[in-house]
Amino acid sequence: MSATVELHRVGKSFTGVRDQRTEHVFEDFSLTVEPGELVALVGASGTGKTTLLHMVAGLERPDTGEVRATGTGDMDGRLGVVFQQPRLLDWLSVRANVEIALRSAGLDPGLADRALEDVGLSEYGDKYPSVLSGGQRQRVAVARAFAIDPAVVLLDEPFSALDELTGRRLRLLLQDLWTRQSRVGLLVTHSPAEAVFLADRVLVLAGRPATVVHEYRVDAPRPRTPEDPELFDLHRRVVADLL
Amino acid sequence: MSVQTQAPERKNPGQRPHRPPPRRRADPRALRWRGPAAAASFLVLLVGGWQVMALSMDSVLVPGVDQIGAEIVRLLGEPRFYSDLGVTFQRVALGFALAFVAALFVGIAMGRSPLARRFFEPAVLIGLTVPGLVWALLCVIWFGVDLINPVMAVALSSAPALTLSIYQGTRATDAQLLEMAHVYRFSTYDRLRNLWLPSLAPALFGGARLGLSLAWKVIVLVEIFGMSSGVGASINGEFAAQNVAGVLAWTVLFALVMALLEYGLLQGLENRAGRWRKVSSV
Repeated sequence: MSATVELHRVGKSFTGVRDQRTEHVFEDFSLTVEPGELVALVGASGTGKTTLLHMVAGLERPDTGEVRATGTGDMDGRLGVVFQQPRLLDWLSVRANVEIALRSAGLDPGLADRALEDVGLSEYGDKYPSVLSGGQRQRVAVARAFAIDPAVVLLDEPFSALDELTGRRLRLLLQDLWTRQSRVGLLVTHSPAEAVFLADRVLVLAGRPATVVHEYRVDAPRPRTPEDPELFDLHRRVVADLL
Repeated sequence: MSVQTQAPERKNPGQRPHRPPPRRRADPRALRWRGPAAAASFLVLLVGGWQVMALSMDSVLVPGVDQIGAEIVRLLGEPRFYSDLGVTFQRVALGFALAFVAALFVGIAMGRSPLARRFFEPAVLIGLTVPGLVWALLCVIWFGVDLINPVMAVALSSAPALTLSIYQGTRATDAQLLEMAHVYRFSTYDRLRNLWLPSLAPALFGGARLGLSLAWKVIVLVEIFGMSSGVGASINGEFAAQNVAGVLAWTVLFALVMALLEYGLLQGLENRAGRWRKVSSV
Protein backbone atom coordinates (compact mmCIF):
# COMPACT_ATOMS: atom_id res chain seq x y z
CA MET A 1 0.00 0.00 0.00
CA SER A 2 1.84 3.06 -1.17
CA ALA A 3 -0.07 6.08 -2.21
CA THR A 4 1.71 9.12 -3.53
CA VAL A 5 0.85 12.59 -4.67
CA GLU A 6 2.89 13.95 -7.53
CA LEU A 7 2.89 17.33 -9.20
CA HIS A 8 5.10 17.31 -12.25
CA ARG A 9 6.10 20.62 -13.87
CA VAL A 10 2.70 22.10 -13.19
CA GLY A 11 1.71 25.45 -14.63
CA LYS A 12 -1.43 27.34 -13.66
CA SER A 13 -2.47 30.88 -14.41
CA PHE A 14 -5.56 32.97 -13.89
CA THR A 15 -6.81 35.81 -16.01
CA GLY A 16 -8.43 38.69 -14.21
CA VAL A 17 -12.02 39.23 -15.25
CA ARG A 18 -11.70 43.00 -15.19
CA ASP A 19 -8.22 43.92 -16.34
CA GLN A 20 -7.57 40.79 -18.43
CA ARG A 21 -4.13 40.49 -16.83
CA THR A 22 -2.76 37.00 -16.60
CA GLU A 23 -1.31 35.95 -13.26
CA HIS A 24 1.00 32.98 -13.32
CA VAL A 25 0.39 31.28 -10.01
CA PHE A 26 2.52 28.24 -10.79
CA GLU A 27 5.15 27.68 -13.43
CA ASP A 28 7.10 24.49 -13.78
CA PHE A 29 6.23 23.55 -10.20
CA SER A 30 7.07 20.04 -9.03
CA LEU A 31 6.38 18.34 -5.75
CA THR A 32 6.26 14.76 -4.61
CA VAL A 33 4.62 13.58 -1.42
CA GLU A 34 6.14 10.25 -0.48
CA PRO A 35 4.07 7.34 0.82
CA GLY A 36 3.08 7.86 4.43
CA GLU A 37 4.12 11.49 4.37
CA LEU A 38 2.11 14.52 5.48
CA VAL A 39 3.37 17.68 3.83
CA ALA A 40 2.34 21.11 5.07
CA LEU A 41 2.25 24.14 2.81
CA VAL A 42 2.55 27.50 4.48
CA GLY A 43 2.82 30.94 2.95
CA ALA A 44 1.15 34.28 2.69
CA SER A 45 -2.40 34.55 1.41
CA GLY A 46 -2.66 34.44 -2.35
CA THR A 47 0.48 32.39 -2.99
CA GLY A 48 -1.59 29.59 -4.47
CA LYS A 49 -1.68 27.07 -1.65
CA THR A 50 -5.36 26.41 -2.01
CA THR A 51 -5.09 26.34 -5.81
CA LEU A 52 -2.50 23.63 -5.44
CA LEU A 53 -4.75 21.64 -3.15
CA HIS A 54 -7.68 22.07 -5.51
CA MET A 55 -5.61 20.71 -8.37
CA VAL A 56 -4.79 17.60 -6.36
CA ALA A 57 -8.47 17.25 -5.43
CA GLY A 58 -9.46 17.50 -9.09
CA LEU A 59 -11.45 20.66 -8.52
CA GLU A 60 -9.15 22.58 -10.86
CA ARG A 61 -7.02 21.46 -13.74
CA PRO A 62 -3.43 22.51 -14.28
CA ASP A 63 -2.79 24.41 -17.53
CA THR A 64 0.37 22.43 -18.14
CA GLY A 65 2.08 19.53 -16.47
CA GLU A 66 0.57 16.70 -14.53
CA VAL A 67 -1.02 16.15 -11.15
CA ARG A 68 -1.35 12.62 -9.92
CA ALA A 69 -2.83 11.28 -6.72
CA THR A 70 -2.51 7.54 -6.78
CA GLY A 71 -3.10 4.81 -4.32
CA THR A 72 -2.84 1.09 -4.72
CA GLY A 73 -5.11 -1.75 -3.82
CA ASP A 74 -8.71 -1.22 -2.87
CA MET A 75 -8.36 2.36 -1.72
CA ASP A 76 -7.17 3.44 -5.12
CA GLY A 77 -7.22 7.19 -5.32
CA ARG A 78 -9.80 7.59 -2.60
CA LEU A 79 -9.75 11.15 -1.39
CA GLY A 80 -10.66 12.53 2.01
CA VAL A 81 -10.87 16.28 2.20
CA VAL A 82 -11.40 18.58 5.17
CA PHE A 83 -12.19 22.11 4.08
CA GLN A 84 -11.99 25.28 6.11
CA GLN A 85 -15.77 25.15 6.53
CA PRO A 86 -17.38 21.83 7.46
CA ARG A 87 -19.39 21.72 4.21
CA LEU A 88 -22.01 19.37 5.61
CA LEU A 89 -25.44 18.82 4.11
CA ASP A 90 -27.52 20.67 6.70
CA TRP A 91 -30.71 18.80 5.82
CA LEU A 92 -29.23 15.39 6.61
CA SER A 93 -28.44 14.02 10.02
CA VAL A 94 -24.81 13.85 11.10
CA ARG A 95 -24.78 10.11 10.53
CA ALA A 96 -26.32 10.42 7.07
CA ASN A 97 -23.64 12.95 6.16
CA VAL A 98 -20.95 10.37 6.85
CA GLU A 99 -22.97 7.51 5.33
CA ILE A 100 -23.34 9.28 2.03
CA ALA A 101 -19.55 9.61 1.71
CA LEU A 102 -19.13 5.94 2.57
CA ARG A 103 -21.73 4.89 0.04
CA SER A 104 -20.13 7.06 -2.63
CA ALA A 105 -16.77 5.40 -1.91
CA GLY A 106 -18.36 1.98 -2.33
CA LEU A 107 -18.00 1.16 1.36
CA ASP A 108 -20.45 -0.10 3.95
CA PRO A 109 -22.52 2.82 5.28
CA GLY A 110 -22.63 0.96 8.59
CA LEU A 111 -19.10 2.18 9.24
CA ALA A 112 -20.45 5.67 9.93
CA ASP A 113 -21.08 5.05 13.62
CA ARG A 114 -17.55 3.87 14.11
CA ALA A 115 -16.20 6.98 12.37
CA LEU A 116 -18.32 9.24 14.58
CA GLU A 117 -17.13 7.38 17.65
CA ASP A 118 -13.54 8.03 16.57
CA VAL A 119 -14.12 11.77 16.68
CA GLY A 120 -16.09 11.62 19.94
CA LEU A 121 -19.50 12.28 18.45
CA SER A 122 -21.16 8.90 18.81
CA GLU A 123 -24.14 10.45 20.58
CA TYR A 124 -24.78 13.03 17.89
CA GLY A 125 -25.52 10.73 14.95
CA ASP A 126 -29.22 11.58 14.80
CA LYS A 127 -28.80 15.32 15.21
CA TYR A 128 -28.87 17.84 12.40
CA PRO A 129 -25.54 19.63 11.85
CA SER A 130 -27.14 22.98 12.60
CA VAL A 131 -27.52 22.16 16.29
CA LEU A 132 -23.83 21.32 16.69
CA SER A 133 -21.13 23.79 17.63
CA GLY A 134 -18.56 24.90 15.07
CA GLY A 135 -15.95 22.56 16.51
CA GLN A 136 -18.34 19.61 16.49
CA ARG A 137 -19.30 20.26 12.91
CA GLN A 138 -15.67 20.28 11.91
CA ARG A 139 -15.28 16.99 13.76
CA VAL A 140 -18.02 15.56 11.58
CA ALA A 141 -16.09 16.78 8.54
CA VAL A 142 -12.97 15.03 9.87
CA ALA A 143 -14.99 11.88 10.53
CA ARG A 144 -16.32 11.96 6.97
CA ALA A 145 -12.82 12.37 5.53
CA PHE A 146 -11.32 9.48 7.48
CA ALA A 147 -14.37 7.20 7.40
CA ILE A 148 -13.76 6.35 3.76
CA ASP A 149 -10.25 5.09 4.52
CA PRO A 150 -8.71 7.52 2.05
CA ALA A 151 -5.43 6.98 0.25
CA VAL A 152 -4.93 10.73 0.11
CA VAL A 153 -5.99 13.24 2.75
CA LEU A 154 -6.22 16.91 1.84
CA LEU A 155 -6.63 19.47 4.59
CA ASP A 156 -7.42 23.02 3.52
CA GLU A 157 -6.92 25.23 6.59
CA PRO A 158 -9.06 22.75 8.47
CA PHE A 159 -8.99 24.42 11.88
CA SER A 160 -8.43 28.08 11.13
CA ALA A 161 -12.08 28.99 11.68
CA LEU A 162 -12.06 27.56 15.20
CA ASP A 163 -10.99 29.07 18.48
CA GLU A 164 -7.55 28.24 19.86
CA LEU A 165 -8.55 25.50 22.29
CA THR A 166 -11.00 23.77 19.96
CA GLY A 167 -8.39 23.90 17.22
CA ARG A 168 -5.80 22.35 19.48
CA ARG A 169 -8.11 19.50 20.45
CA LEU A 170 -8.88 18.81 16.82
CA ARG A 171 -5.20 18.84 15.89
CA LEU A 172 -4.56 16.19 18.52
CA LEU A 173 -7.50 14.20 17.17
CA LEU A 174 -6.17 14.51 13.64
CA GLN A 175 -2.75 13.31 14.73
CA ASP A 176 -4.38 10.30 16.32
CA LEU A 177 -6.35 9.46 13.17
CA TRP A 178 -3.31 10.05 10.99
CA THR A 179 -1.08 7.59 12.83
CA ARG A 180 -3.58 4.73 12.56
CA GLN A 181 -3.00 4.16 8.87
CA SER A 182 -0.33 5.02 6.39
CA ARG A 183 -1.64 7.59 3.93
CA VAL A 184 -0.32 10.60 2.10
CA GLY A 185 -1.50 14.01 3.03
CA LEU A 186 -1.28 17.66 2.09
CA LEU A 187 -2.06 20.32 4.66
CA VAL A 188 -2.55 23.94 3.72
CA THR A 189 -2.43 26.24 6.69
CA HIS A 190 -1.78 29.78 7.82
CA SER A 191 -0.56 28.57 11.15
CA PRO A 192 3.15 27.63 11.33
CA ALA A 193 2.50 25.95 14.69
CA GLU A 194 -0.13 23.70 13.13
CA ALA A 195 2.15 22.88 10.20
CA VAL A 196 5.07 21.95 12.43
CA PHE A 197 2.92 19.96 14.84
CA LEU A 198 1.18 17.84 12.23
CA ALA A 199 3.48 17.50 9.25
CA ASP A 200 6.55 15.49 8.33
CA ARG A 201 7.74 18.21 6.01
CA VAL A 202 6.92 21.92 5.95
CA LEU A 203 7.22 23.84 2.70
CA VAL A 204 7.22 27.61 2.69
CA LEU A 205 5.75 28.95 -0.54
CA ALA A 206 6.34 32.47 -1.77
CA GLY A 207 6.50 34.59 -4.88
CA ARG A 208 4.63 34.68 -8.14
CA PRO A 209 4.89 32.21 -9.72
CA ALA A 210 5.10 30.37 -6.43
CA THR A 211 8.22 28.49 -5.47
CA VAL A 212 9.31 26.60 -2.38
CA VAL A 213 11.59 29.08 -0.64
CA HIS A 214 12.24 26.98 2.46
CA GLU A 215 11.81 23.38 3.36
CA TYR A 216 11.93 21.85 6.83
CA ARG A 217 11.86 18.23 7.87
CA VAL A 218 10.07 17.51 11.11
CA ASP A 219 11.61 14.34 12.46
CA ALA A 220 9.98 14.38 15.89
CA PRO A 221 8.28 11.03 16.44
CA ARG A 222 4.52 10.82 16.90
CA PRO A 223 2.54 11.22 19.05
CA ARG A 224 3.83 14.74 19.41
CA THR A 225 2.79 17.31 21.97
CA PRO A 226 2.22 20.94 21.07
CA GLU A 227 4.64 21.96 23.85
CA ASP A 228 7.59 20.02 22.43
CA PRO A 229 10.57 22.47 22.56
CA GLU A 230 12.04 21.03 19.38
CA LEU A 231 8.80 21.75 17.52
CA PHE A 232 8.63 25.20 19.03
CA ASP A 233 12.12 25.98 17.77
CA LEU A 234 11.14 24.90 14.28
CA HIS A 235 7.94 26.90 14.54
CA ARG A 236 10.00 30.03 15.27
CA ARG A 237 12.12 29.48 12.21
CA VAL A 238 9.06 29.06 9.98
CA VAL A 239 7.55 32.22 11.43
CA ALA A 240 10.79 34.08 10.71
CA ASP A 241 10.61 32.94 7.08
CA LEU A 242 7.09 34.19 6.74
CA LEU A 243 7.70 37.61 8.27
CA MET B 1 -66.92 42.11 20.35
CA SER B 2 -66.03 45.30 22.11
CA VAL B 3 -62.97 46.27 24.00
CA GLN B 4 -63.58 48.40 27.00
CA THR B 5 -61.51 51.53 27.04
CA GLN B 6 -62.37 53.31 30.17
CA ALA B 7 -59.99 56.22 30.42
CA PRO B 8 -58.81 56.67 34.00
CA GLU B 9 -60.10 59.82 35.52
CA ARG B 10 -57.53 62.49 35.95
CA LYS B 11 -57.97 65.13 38.49
CA ASN B 12 -55.57 67.57 36.95
CA PRO B 13 -55.24 67.01 33.25
CA GLY B 14 -52.03 68.49 31.94
CA GLN B 15 -50.17 68.08 35.19
CA ARG B 16 -48.35 64.95 34.16
CA PRO B 17 -48.03 65.18 30.41
CA HIS B 18 -45.31 62.53 30.22
CA ARG B 19 -47.56 59.82 31.51
CA PRO B 20 -48.15 57.30 28.73
CA PRO B 21 -51.73 56.78 27.70
CA PRO B 22 -53.26 53.73 29.34
CA ARG B 23 -52.60 50.76 27.19
CA ARG B 24 -55.56 48.87 25.85
CA ARG B 25 -55.34 45.30 26.94
CA ALA B 26 -56.90 43.40 24.10
CA ASP B 27 -57.89 39.84 24.75
CA PRO B 28 -55.22 37.68 23.04
CA ARG B 29 -57.92 35.30 21.92
CA ALA B 30 -59.66 38.14 20.19
CA LEU B 31 -56.37 39.16 18.55
CA ARG B 32 -55.90 35.71 17.13
CA TRP B 33 -59.24 35.90 15.35
CA ARG B 34 -58.60 39.29 13.82
CA GLY B 35 -56.93 37.97 10.65
CA PRO B 36 -59.59 35.35 9.85
CA ALA B 37 -62.29 37.87 10.74
CA ALA B 38 -60.85 40.29 8.18
CA ALA B 39 -60.85 37.58 5.51
CA ALA B 40 -64.37 36.54 6.44
CA SER B 41 -65.65 40.09 6.27
CA PHE B 42 -64.33 40.35 2.71
CA LEU B 43 -66.23 37.21 1.76
CA VAL B 44 -69.38 38.48 3.48
CA LEU B 45 -69.07 41.76 1.59
CA LEU B 46 -68.54 39.93 -1.70
CA VAL B 47 -71.55 37.64 -1.23
CA GLY B 48 -73.70 40.47 0.11
CA GLY B 49 -72.68 42.80 -2.72
CA TRP B 50 -73.45 40.12 -5.24
CA GLN B 51 -76.86 39.53 -3.73
CA VAL B 52 -77.64 43.26 -3.80
CA MET B 53 -76.56 43.40 -7.44
CA ALA B 54 -78.63 40.32 -8.32
CA LEU B 55 -81.72 41.73 -6.63
CA SER B 56 -81.43 45.16 -8.18
CA MET B 57 -80.74 43.86 -11.70
CA ASP B 58 -83.32 41.13 -11.50
CA SER B 59 -81.85 39.35 -14.53
CA VAL B 60 -81.41 35.69 -15.39
CA LEU B 61 -77.79 36.53 -16.21
CA VAL B 62 -77.06 37.44 -12.60
CA PRO B 63 -78.52 34.71 -10.42
CA GLY B 64 -78.92 35.35 -6.73
CA VAL B 65 -76.87 33.79 -3.99
CA ASP B 66 -79.71 31.46 -3.12
CA GLN B 67 -79.81 30.08 -6.67
CA ILE B 68 -76.05 29.57 -6.76
CA GLY B 69 -76.23 27.92 -3.36
CA ALA B 70 -78.92 25.56 -4.58
CA GLU B 71 -76.75 24.68 -7.60
CA ILE B 72 -73.79 23.99 -5.33
CA VAL B 73 -75.90 21.65 -3.23
CA ARG B 74 -77.18 19.94 -6.38
CA LEU B 75 -73.64 19.46 -7.71
CA LEU B 76 -72.38 18.09 -4.41
CA GLY B 77 -75.12 15.50 -4.57
CA GLU B 78 -74.21 14.29 -8.03
CA PRO B 79 -71.66 11.50 -8.56
CA ARG B 80 -70.59 13.16 -11.80
CA PHE B 81 -69.21 16.11 -9.84
CA TYR B 82 -66.69 13.91 -8.07
CA SER B 83 -65.67 11.97 -11.16
CA ASP B 84 -65.20 15.20 -13.14
CA LEU B 85 -63.12 16.69 -10.38
CA GLY B 86 -61.06 13.49 -10.18
CA VAL B 87 -60.47 13.41 -13.93
CA THR B 88 -59.37 17.03 -14.00
CA PHE B 89 -57.13 16.54 -11.02
CA GLN B 90 -55.54 13.49 -12.62
CA ARG B 91 -54.79 15.41 -15.82
CA VAL B 92 -53.24 18.26 -13.89
CA ALA B 93 -51.20 15.87 -11.76
CA LEU B 94 -49.81 14.02 -14.81
CA GLY B 95 -49.05 17.19 -16.72
CA PHE B 96 -47.52 18.85 -13.73
CA ALA B 97 -45.33 15.82 -12.98
CA LEU B 98 -44.09 15.86 -16.57
CA ALA B 99 -43.33 19.58 -16.37
CA PHE B 100 -41.63 19.14 -13.02
CA VAL B 101 -39.21 16.46 -14.20
CA ALA B 102 -38.40 18.33 -17.40
CA ALA B 103 -37.97 21.62 -15.55
CA LEU B 104 -35.70 20.00 -12.98
CA PHE B 105 -33.24 18.80 -15.62
CA VAL B 106 -33.43 21.86 -17.84
CA GLY B 107 -33.34 24.29 -14.92
CA ILE B 108 -30.28 22.67 -13.35
CA ALA B 109 -28.56 22.46 -16.74
CA MET B 110 -29.24 26.16 -17.30
CA GLY B 111 -27.81 27.06 -13.94
CA ARG B 112 -24.74 24.92 -14.43
CA SER B 113 -23.75 25.59 -18.02
CA PRO B 114 -23.80 28.96 -19.76
CA LEU B 115 -24.23 27.17 -23.08
CA ALA B 116 -27.32 25.34 -21.86
CA ARG B 117 -28.66 28.62 -20.48
CA ARG B 118 -28.23 30.29 -23.86
CA PHE B 119 -29.87 27.35 -25.57
CA PHE B 120 -32.94 27.08 -23.34
CA GLU B 121 -33.42 30.77 -22.59
CA PRO B 122 -35.51 31.49 -25.72
CA ALA B 123 -37.62 28.41 -25.04
CA VAL B 124 -38.40 29.57 -21.52
CA LEU B 125 -39.12 33.10 -22.66
CA ILE B 126 -41.41 31.95 -25.45
CA GLY B 127 -43.10 29.53 -23.09
CA LEU B 128 -43.70 32.26 -20.53
CA THR B 129 -45.20 34.67 -23.03
CA VAL B 130 -47.45 32.30 -24.99
CA PRO B 131 -50.91 32.55 -23.42
CA GLY B 132 -52.38 29.44 -21.85
CA LEU B 133 -55.32 29.76 -24.22
CA VAL B 134 -53.01 29.23 -27.20
CA TRP B 135 -51.47 26.12 -25.64
CA ALA B 136 -54.96 24.82 -25.00
CA LEU B 137 -56.05 25.41 -28.62
CA LEU B 138 -52.86 23.96 -30.09
CA CYS B 139 -53.04 20.85 -27.94
CA VAL B 140 -56.66 20.27 -28.90
CA ILE B 141 -55.69 20.61 -32.58
CA TRP B 142 -52.64 18.36 -32.33
CA PHE B 143 -53.64 15.71 -29.84
CA GLY B 144 -57.42 15.61 -30.14
CA VAL B 145 -59.34 13.90 -27.37
CA ASP B 146 -56.55 11.66 -26.09
CA LEU B 147 -55.28 11.96 -22.54
CA ILE B 148 -52.07 13.39 -23.94
CA ASN B 149 -53.89 16.57 -24.94
CA PRO B 150 -54.67 17.96 -21.48
CA VAL B 151 -51.45 16.54 -20.07
CA MET B 152 -49.33 18.31 -22.68
CA ALA B 153 -51.26 21.54 -22.32
CA VAL B 154 -50.70 21.56 -18.57
CA ALA B 155 -47.04 20.62 -18.97
CA LEU B 156 -46.39 23.26 -21.61
CA SER B 157 -48.01 26.03 -19.66
CA SER B 158 -46.48 25.30 -16.28
CA ALA B 159 -42.98 24.13 -17.28
CA PRO B 160 -41.54 27.55 -18.20
CA ALA B 161 -42.35 29.12 -14.83
CA LEU B 162 -41.02 26.06 -13.02
CA THR B 163 -37.86 26.02 -15.12
CA LEU B 164 -37.20 29.67 -14.42
CA SER B 165 -37.44 29.31 -10.66
CA ILE B 166 -35.38 26.12 -10.64
CA TYR B 167 -32.74 27.88 -12.74
CA GLN B 168 -32.63 30.74 -10.25
CA GLY B 169 -32.48 28.31 -7.35
CA THR B 170 -29.61 26.49 -9.02
CA ARG B 171 -27.60 29.68 -9.24
CA ALA B 172 -28.09 30.15 -5.52
CA THR B 173 -26.92 26.62 -4.67
CA ASP B 174 -23.81 26.53 -2.55
CA ALA B 175 -20.78 25.96 -4.81
CA GLN B 176 -18.81 24.73 -1.81
CA LEU B 177 -21.19 21.82 -1.35
CA LEU B 178 -20.87 20.96 -5.03
CA GLU B 179 -17.11 20.84 -4.63
CA MET B 180 -17.54 18.58 -1.62
CA ALA B 181 -19.84 16.28 -3.59
CA HIS B 182 -17.29 16.18 -6.41
CA VAL B 183 -14.40 15.33 -4.10
CA TYR B 184 -16.35 12.53 -2.42
CA ARG B 185 -17.60 11.28 -5.79
CA PHE B 186 -21.31 11.41 -5.01
CA SER B 187 -23.41 9.40 -7.41
CA THR B 188 -25.81 11.23 -9.72
CA TYR B 189 -28.68 9.98 -7.59
CA ASP B 190 -27.16 11.28 -4.36
CA ARG B 191 -26.34 14.59 -5.98
CA LEU B 192 -29.95 15.01 -7.09
CA ARG B 193 -31.67 13.58 -4.04
CA ASN B 194 -29.43 14.88 -1.30
CA LEU B 195 -27.87 18.02 -2.69
CA TRP B 196 -29.87 19.58 -5.50
CA LEU B 197 -33.40 18.81 -4.32
CA PRO B 198 -32.94 20.06 -0.74
CA SER B 199 -31.14 23.22 -1.75
CA LEU B 200 -33.66 23.85 -4.51
CA ALA B 201 -36.63 23.21 -2.23
CA PRO B 202 -37.57 26.87 -1.68
CA ALA B 203 -37.35 27.57 -5.40
CA LEU B 204 -39.29 24.39 -6.18
CA PHE B 205 -42.17 25.33 -3.91
CA GLY B 206 -42.30 28.86 -5.27
CA GLY B 207 -42.26 27.52 -8.83
CA ALA B 208 -44.81 24.83 -8.05
CA ARG B 209 -47.26 27.41 -6.70
CA LEU B 210 -46.90 29.51 -9.83
CA GLY B 211 -46.96 26.52 -12.18
CA LEU B 212 -50.03 25.00 -10.55
CA SER B 213 -51.96 28.25 -10.70
CA LEU B 214 -51.25 28.34 -14.44
CA ALA B 215 -52.16 24.67 -14.78
CA TRP B 216 -55.62 25.12 -13.21
CA LYS B 217 -56.38 27.84 -15.71
CA VAL B 218 -55.26 26.01 -18.80
CA ILE B 219 -56.85 22.66 -17.91
CA VAL B 220 -60.30 24.20 -17.79
CA LEU B 221 -59.74 25.77 -21.21
CA VAL B 222 -58.61 22.47 -22.72
CA GLU B 223 -61.59 20.69 -21.28
CA ILE B 224 -63.95 23.33 -22.62
CA PHE B 225 -62.51 23.08 -26.12
CA GLY B 226 -61.71 19.47 -26.55
CA MET B 227 -62.79 17.14 -23.78
CA SER B 228 -66.06 15.49 -22.89
CA SER B 229 -65.24 15.05 -19.21
CA GLY B 230 -63.72 17.10 -16.47
CA VAL B 231 -64.53 20.37 -14.78
CA GLY B 232 -64.13 22.42 -17.96
CA ALA B 233 -66.47 20.17 -19.95
CA SER B 234 -69.09 20.42 -17.22
CA ILE B 235 -68.79 24.19 -17.08
CA ASN B 236 -69.19 24.18 -20.86
CA GLY B 237 -72.31 22.04 -20.45
CA GLU B 238 -73.86 24.47 -17.98
CA PHE B 239 -72.93 27.29 -20.32
CA ALA B 240 -74.66 25.57 -23.24
CA ALA B 241 -77.76 25.07 -21.08
CA GLN B 242 -77.63 28.79 -20.26
CA ASN B 243 -77.47 27.93 -16.59
CA VAL B 244 -75.43 30.84 -15.22
CA ALA B 245 -75.92 29.67 -11.64
CA GLY B 246 -74.45 26.30 -12.65
CA VAL B 247 -71.36 27.93 -14.18
CA LEU B 248 -70.84 29.99 -11.04
CA ALA B 249 -71.42 27.01 -8.75
CA TRP B 250 -68.79 25.00 -10.63
CA THR B 251 -66.36 27.89 -10.50
CA VAL B 252 -66.79 28.37 -6.77
CA LEU B 253 -66.40 24.68 -6.00
CA PHE B 254 -63.43 24.19 -8.31
CA ALA B 255 -61.59 27.19 -6.89
CA LEU B 256 -62.31 26.00 -3.37
CA VAL B 257 -61.08 22.45 -3.94
CA MET B 258 -57.93 23.59 -5.77
CA ALA B 259 -57.09 26.16 -3.12
CA LEU B 260 -57.49 23.50 -0.43
CA LEU B 261 -55.27 21.08 -2.35
CA GLU B 262 -52.65 23.70 -2.99
CA TYR B 263 -52.46 24.95 0.56
CA GLY B 264 -52.97 21.59 2.19
CA LEU B 265 -50.62 19.58 0.02
CA LEU B 266 -47.91 22.11 -0.80
CA GLN B 267 -47.83 23.59 2.68
CA GLY B 268 -47.53 20.14 4.18
CA LEU B 269 -44.70 19.17 1.86
CA GLU B 270 -42.93 22.44 2.45
CA ASN B 271 -43.07 22.00 6.19
CA ARG B 272 -41.69 18.51 5.80
CA ALA B 273 -38.84 19.68 3.60
CA GLY B 274 -37.97 22.38 6.10
CA ARG B 275 -37.86 20.21 9.20
CA TRP B 276 -34.12 20.64 9.65
CA ARG B 277 -34.57 24.41 9.54
CA LYS B 278 -37.07 24.39 12.38
CA VAL B 279 -34.71 22.55 14.62
CA SER B 280 -32.01 25.11 13.94
CA SER B 281 -34.20 28.12 14.61
CA VAL B 282 -34.46 27.33 18.29
